[in-house]
Amino acid sequence: MPKNPIETLENLLRPASKPGLVGIWMDEHKLVDAAQKVRESGVKNFNAISPFPLHGIDDAMGIPRSFIPWVTFVMGLTGCSLGVLFTWWASAVDWPLIIGGKPMWSLAAFIPVIFELTILFAALSSVAALFFLAGLPKIDPVIIDPDLTSHKFALFVPEGVEGYNRQELEQLFKEMGADEVRSAEF
Amino acid sequence: MEIKVEKPNPWTASVRLKSVFSSFMFIGLISLVFALFDDKTRAWHAYLIGLFYFTSLALGGLFFASIQHLTNAGWSVNIRRITESLTAFLPWAAGLTVIFVLGNFNMDFQVYDWFNKDIIAKDGLLQHKEAYLNPTFFIIRTVIFFGLWLFLCKKIIGNSIKQDESGDVSLTHKAVPLSIAFLGVFALSYSLYSVDTLMSLEAHWFSTIFGVYCFAGLFQSTLAVIILIIGHLLKKGIINKYVNENHLHDMGKFLFAFTVFWAYIAFSQYMLIWYSNLPEETIFFEPRQSGTWLYVSFSLILFKFIVPFFALLPKWAKRNISHLSAVCILLLVMQFVDLFWLVYPNIKKNHEFMFGFQEVGVFLGFLGLFMYSVAKFLSSHPVVPYRDPRIHESMDHHVVY
Repeated sequence: MPKNPIETLENLLRPASKPGLVGIWMDEHKLVDAAQKVRESGVKNFNAISPFPLHGIDDAMGIPRSFIPWVTFVMGLTGCSLGVLFTWWASAVDWPLIIGGKPMWSLAAFIPVIFELTILFAALSSVAALFFLAGLPKIDPVIIDPDLTSHKFALFVPEGVEGYNRQELEQLFKEMGADEVRSAEF
Repeated sequence: MEIKVEKPNPWTASVRLKSVFSSFMFIGLISLVFALFDDKTRAWHAYLIGLFYFTSLALGGLFFASIQHLTNAGWSVNIRRITESLTAFLPWAAGLTVIFVLGNFNMDFQVYDWFNKDIIAKDGLLQHKEAYLNPTFFIIRTVIFFGLWLFLCKKIIGNSIKQDESGDVSLTHKAVPLSIAFLGVFALSYSLYSVDTLMSLEAHWFSTIFGVYCFAGLFQSTLAVIILIIGHLLKKGIINKYVNENHLHDMGKFLFAFTVFWAYIAFSQYMLIWYSNLPEETIFFEPRQSGTWLYVSFSLILFKFIVPFFALLPKWAKRNISHLSAVCILLLVMQFVDLFWLVYPNIKKNHEFMFGFQEVGVFLGFLGLFMYSVAKFLSSHPVVPYRDPRIHESMDHHVVY
């Protein structure tokens, strides 16, 4: 019997979770300081979970700049070139028509088309790149603590990443004022 | 809870800066006198470029300050005084406009065809437009515009300066209705002002987007001047505690956005005229795409849009003051070229390309006077409105992207 296609899709979009150690804070400033300390202790690839964007978290966690601007730029240029190519091919090569006595290849008339294609390519591929980078869409993501979407802030270090040492991390989280330190899946 | 922000160190113009603007003013005056003896038409056209350029900058400073009040913006508080300083030229602009109008009542010469009864008598279209385009109504309009601008300018800027002494929070609230009033007045009056002073040089021609085109140039060049002044004050170490690279980043984004906006408006105007190809509309572009003017037109596309577009695109470019200043200087030069391109092909009737000491000299004169008035304003008031209630937002300003 064939599987329910919706269920198959859901399984595909359900993220795999990893076990690890989580520290939960009630104050976002403490979390940023803790993230800085975790990075300095040599841990790579850990997550911060917050209900809103935190100023300075990128620097604290040492997150390099996203490559999405490059996707936007390159795809914008691609859209622009395709626009030029398409309007030229359609109006001057494949089906030449004289409109208003203008030359077949009239750049001024085609700039709106070229502009729109530039924006379309740049915008859609930026969104696609964002979805790809963020692993979206996610169905039934693992929830460490439901309050992480309202007033709590967490750091999650998956087991076995570079620099992972359970005792030391637990110690560090407590020193940095974590309200809760425990094992979790994320 | 009120946390005190220190009063910034006072800024004074260095001897070098003072000698620069005094010599500019001197050069301007000499050039204007010589130009008037040489060729009156050309001299007054050169004068018009300088007048429109710097009147626009003065209004642009007030426009920027007004939108910050209107949107209750916190990030821009630390640079608001710099934008306000541009308005110091506005009273000078009013005086220089009087000279311009008086100069044009000369019997043997007028910049505008519709000032001349003989030309109107022979021209049906000008007779048709005479109800609006006539010297009396022009003077009435100009007086109303400058009256409103100066009044609202005095109110808004005076309000801001009063707060430096009293620290009164209610002054911040009072600025909002004043800013709304100015923005309403500005939208209408600047559009009509640009039609009166620039578009009517070729009185047969009309373009409904012309006011927006002039506004695009105004805002682009205003942002460029503000960034240059920020750069100067940072170099002198006056505002380093108040303005960081995040403010520059936001100003850079503004500059980038309005570079694109200018191109968008300029292209919209061109494309519709090109497409419909009506003689009464194409008379504007016809001289501008022949002879030397063609190269000037291309230089606008290249240096007022394409080069600054790519130069302002990366993140680092907007956070680096020396790079940003270089782009700003380019844009300010191109704003001059833009006005030159709008004004000069109208010199009757051969549309000849002319560029010489008159244009450069007279423009430098205006530049000198503008620098003088802005420097005077900045040296007599604190360069940061340090008692604005929103200042903490600006002190900690941080942008992620």
